[in-house]
Amino acid sequence: MILIHCPYCEEKRPEIEFANAGQAHIARPVDPATQTDEEWKNYLFIRANPRGRHHERWRHIHGCGRFFNAVRDTSTDKFETTYKAGEPRR
Amino acid sequence: MSGYRLSVGGRVVRRHAVTFRFDGKNYQGFAGDTLASALLANGVMLFGRSFKYHRPRGLIAAGSEEPNALVLVDRGPGRRTPNLRATGIEVYDGLTATSQNRWPSLKTDFGAINDRLGMFFPAGFYNKTFMWPRSFWDKLYEPAIRRMAGLGDAPTEKDPDHYASTYAHCDLLIIGAGPAGIDAALEAAGTNTRVILIDEQDEPGGGALADPSLWPWLERSMKALNDAANVTILTRTTAFGYYHDNFIGAVQRLTDHMPQIADGPREKLWRIRAGEIILAQGAIERPLVFEGNDTPGVMLASAAKVFANRYGVAVGKSVALMAAHDSGWHDVFALAKAGVGIVAIIDVRENVDATLLTEAEKLGIMVYLNHSVIGVNGRHRVKSIQVCGNNDYLDGRIACDALLMAGGWTPSVHLWSHSKGTLKWRNDLGAYVPDQANENVCSVGACAGHWDFGNGAVIDMLPTPKGLTRAKAFVDFQNDVTAKDIKLAVREGFRSIEHIKRYTTNGMATDQGKTSNLNCLQIASTALAKPVTDIGITSFRPPYTPQTFGTLAGHAKDALFQPLRKSPIDGWAEDNGAVFELVAQWRRARYFPKVGEDMHIAVNRECVEVRSSVGIFDASTLGKIEVVGPDAAEFLNRMYTNPWKALEPGRCRYGLLLKEDGFITDDGVSARLAPDRFHLTTTTGGAARVLNMMEDYLQTEWPDLNVWLTSTTEQYAVIAVQGPNARKVLEPLVAGIDLSAEAFPHMAIREGVICGIPTRLFRVSFTGELGFEINVPAAYGRALWERLIVEGAHYNITPYGTEAMHVLRAEKGYIIVGQDTDGTVTPHDAGLDWAVGKKKLDFVGRRSLTRPDIVAPGRKQLVGLLTDDSNLVLEEGAQIVADPNQPVPMKMIGHVTSSYWSETLGRSIAMALIAGGHKRLGETLYIPMPDKTHTAKVSGMVFYDTQGARLNV
Amino acid sequence: MSDILARSEPVPTLPFVGVGVTISLVTPMARYSLRARQLEALEALLNTKLPHKIGKTENGYACLGPDEWLLRAAVGTAMPKGEGLAVSVTDMSERAICLVVEGPRATGVLLSGCPLDLETFAVGRATRTLYETVEITLIRDSEDRFHVEVWRSFAPWLWIALTTAASH
Repeated sequence: MILIHCPYCEEKRPEIEFANAGQAHIARPVDPATQTDEEWKNYLFIRANPRGRHHERWRHIHGCGRFFNAVRDTSTDKFETTYKAGEPRR
Repeated sequence: MSGYRLSVGGRVVRRHAVTFRFDGKNYQGFAGDTLASALLANGVMLFGRSFKYHRPRGLIAAGSEEPNALVLVDRGPGRRTPNLRATGIEVYDGLTATSQNRWPSLKTDFGAINDRLGMFFPAGFYNKTFMWPRSFWDKLYEPAIRRMAGLGDAPTEKDPDHYASTYAHCDLLIIGAGPAGIDAALEAAGTNTRVILIDEQDEPGGGALADPSLWPWLERSMKALNDAANVTILTRTTAFGYYHDNFIGAVQRLTDHMPQIADGPREKLWRIRAGEIILAQGAIERPLVFEGNDTPGVMLASAAKVFANRYGVAVGKSVALMAAHDSGWHDVFALAKAGVGIVAIIDVRENVDATLLTEAEKLGIMVYLNHSVIGVNGRHRVKSIQVCGNNDYLDGRIACDALLMAGGWTPSVHLWSHSKGTLKWRNDLGAYVPDQANENVCSVGACAGHWDFGNGAVIDMLPTPKGLTRAKAFVDFQNDVTAKDIKLAVREGFRSIEHIKRYTTNGMATDQGKTSNLNCLQIASTALAKPVTDIGITSFRPPYTPQTFGTLAGHAKDALFQPLRKSPIDGWAEDNGAVFELVAQWRRARYFPKVGEDMHIAVNRECVEVRSSVGIFDASTLGKIEVVGPDAAEFLNRMYTNPWKALEPGRCRYGLLLKEDGFITDDGVSARLAPDRFHLTTTTGGAARVLNMMEDYLQTEWPDLNVWLTSTTEQYAVIAVQGPNARKVLEPLVAGIDLSAEAFPHMAIREGVICGIPTRLFRVSFTGELGFEINVPAAYGRALWERLIVEGAHYNITPYGTEAMHVLRAEKGYIIVGQDTDGTVTPHDAGLDWAVGKKKLDFVGRRSLTRPDIVAPGRKQLVGLLTDDSNLVLEEGAQIVADPNQPVPMKMIGHVTSSYWSETLGRSIAMALIAGGHKRLGETLYIPMPDKTHTAKVSGMVFYDTQGARLNV
Repeated sequence: MSDILARSEPVPTLPFVGVGVTISLVTPMARYSLRARQLEALEALLNTKLPHKIGKTENGYACLGPDEWLLRAAVGTAMPKGEGLAVSVTDMSERAICLVVEGPRATGVLLSGCPLDLETFAVGRATRTLYETVEITLIRDSEDRFHVEVWRSFAPWLWIALTTAASH
């Protein structure tokens, strides 16, 4: 079981307190109505699936309740860093 | 006892004799014996039959790497444990064990015919032979193979034992309490770090237990560790897996060694998080590969030393050694000193250290350098060995009753590998040792390749003048893999050790190749003419040794299997004979049968009472979310399909929630309590999902909104009172709320008091009747329910369950998200266009409603379905076709989502998702079932009170 | 209406007494979820100081998240609703019940299913976490005394789980 550093609680907590929430830094378009079908398709369905460094969202759902961002290596499962929602991509 | 117990020595307690049974015969041993050592002391060398060839097998090892001596221990019904290694079973008075994989008895085994036919059973035999015809597999091949090949039988009774489980945290975890592990623990003892030292054996000491000269040190050291308050010592505890961030799974065996079955847990699962881990797991001696090396009595030299020095047992009376490593010499010297007769040392090497030769000469042991054993005589026990010069091929026979193998050492890197640490090859050791760590861990002692056993030759097999095709030179004893099988795999084109392993099954038995992996690598390396490092390395995976399912399950069984959520009114339902069903983790009352009623009759009665008078229903499990803050209405407006900003306080609205892909994910009626406060409801199963989804949008998409969500699902018990007499039941009990139709219309909420308790009273209906849903603080739910049952008695108030609720809502065409929708249904598909705000520019999912696939014709749409035979209730999930005469496989155009008998309507009703359904009104469709094809006509979804007249009263 | 309905509790009201540990249901209390982005807005509304670090407790207020506080107070404690302010005050007095796990084995019993390092969990600390798969809010009252808040419907399961662990 991995330990994940929660940037809000400022400590490492056991993985079972967290829920993965998919790829990070995919903002909902400000005005979806103006999106072309192609643009909207990309927003809805197209996701990266890298081997290695991956930006993803986690939620400390059984802790402080906050969503935050993380950089995790998908081949080693090691977290490089975690940071608060809204902070720039690392 | 027989003459195999040495007159002195060992750590067994000779004044404490115990009696145990093996294969129906009584034997004596001493406290401190293992089943293996006690049987050896009684002259028993035959422990089992091999997996594939049913060859007689004895002990190879003295520890948990033992591949052969798998036995079943029987402690009564449900307590029969198969496949235990005799070397790890502590004897106690009354221990009952039996050998496995033999019929009718260990000495006479009909399956041994496989051995004579061995030449016909090469690697991949089962795959190649039993391929055709396929139907033969189920009836003929598989049952026959299962009878002949296999390990012990799994018990069929329920396991009566219980198992404990715990988390533990420490700064330093040391795995293995041999000399290296104990030294590491001594260094940390008395500091302010938390240290855990674990060892799989009943006694700490590891290799030191077989070396009497180390016993005084061991005693001193263990006393120091026991006295150190910061050190926890766990014996009989196997670290079976090493997981991320220094998380170790370990099993502590608590009662299996006790004569009486104890009250406490049988085993305990330790989930240990360690700051730093020291692996001190030691090394495993490697067998040598030669013809007949599996004959009972052929075993590891180090094992013979353990049996002599730790248990006081001689493995034979005249013992020979076949060595490729100095350690074997030292071991037989120790045996000779312990009183075991040594007849010869054969070493495959041309030269060995002169001190070894001197010592052998001093002890009067014949030495044959540059020689190899080429054959073993004796079927159930070694009688003699054939020895041959490596160059001259002149052979001779040496009489002996045990042959020891010293093939060098394999560091135990299993846990290191679990942790994803890398390995490096050491040519001098002929073994992999830990290289780069992937966690905060280090290996010490023999598992890191550090030992003082001397030197050895690294070889694949002993030289032999005999052709290999008939050789029974075993590599993997547990899976019956021979050197010939590995060479065959290479000839057939397998190049990677991963493939060779799977084709031959080498290393894939329950011992995971502890004694066989490196010999297999060496043989494959020779056959491929490539260095070992070029053919790959197989992965070690948890568990290190087999563990019980009981421990892995821990307390998660019976009542603790998984949480069963109960509503505040559950106790009343249970007391009143409700039949329950599971909805997500909740159990809900499905119906309340009276004496003699089946479900059908009970549900019919419940439905009719609701429509004719009044029913009472526990709706507490509905998800509830309190949405509070100045931007609450704005937030809901963005989340739900319909407009929320203009909803007045005191009024309710049906909310439809889509995912961003435009498909319905939840629905519920929600109320505005104040300008900045809403009381949302969700489906029972959707509560957590909806809250998470809303938090997601709020925290990450619209963090500027001043609004907060609080789950209040469990704050309130919810009692639905539904039916034409609902108002009359409530009127005498409610204070502060005018219940009249004018003052309190349908889809409104009022706050007041009921029976002295504050309530949020909804006027809503999921039945199509006049209805109220009473929210009260959960602790008062049951008492209020009971009061309503009493007060409603004048109106024959009838408790109804989820089944009647389903029928009543279906009669009205109300959907259930997740039953009538499946994650691919849009509001339009479900006939819920009216719930979508046409003027809204945005809400979650809105943009998707104009995606090309969503507006394309032919989508599955929700419609009503009325069978031509009104007595026929369709099966939910039944497939629907337009043309029943088309050839199979037919084109299925949809399926039945809901189907019930409606007692009110005197006929069956159904809902279905059908391609282009909205345009098929009145069309006849077909539902082919195994017995016959049913016909039904597409209809609207509202079957009862289509104008809604019964609601607004 | 002067009649008062009786309360029902999801777990036994008599304590479980095991070797070195007692598990008992705490009498009812008032519980509020308090939310605000600006701590000061709540402090002004409630006229009290709130802990500002996640995990800290002060005057019965526990900080559970960056914008979230849990108040546990005497039953019947009323709170201002903060209408119109950028805050949220929500009554959830009956959402959870509280079990007290007390005695020299309290830490060990909770460790049977809670993955946190409770030996180093400071007295006075509060956090949401899990006991196996069930969410709890854990508050360390003293060296040997923990409060375990658990949602009502999960309470029967947790009661069996903790008392089973305590009896081992």
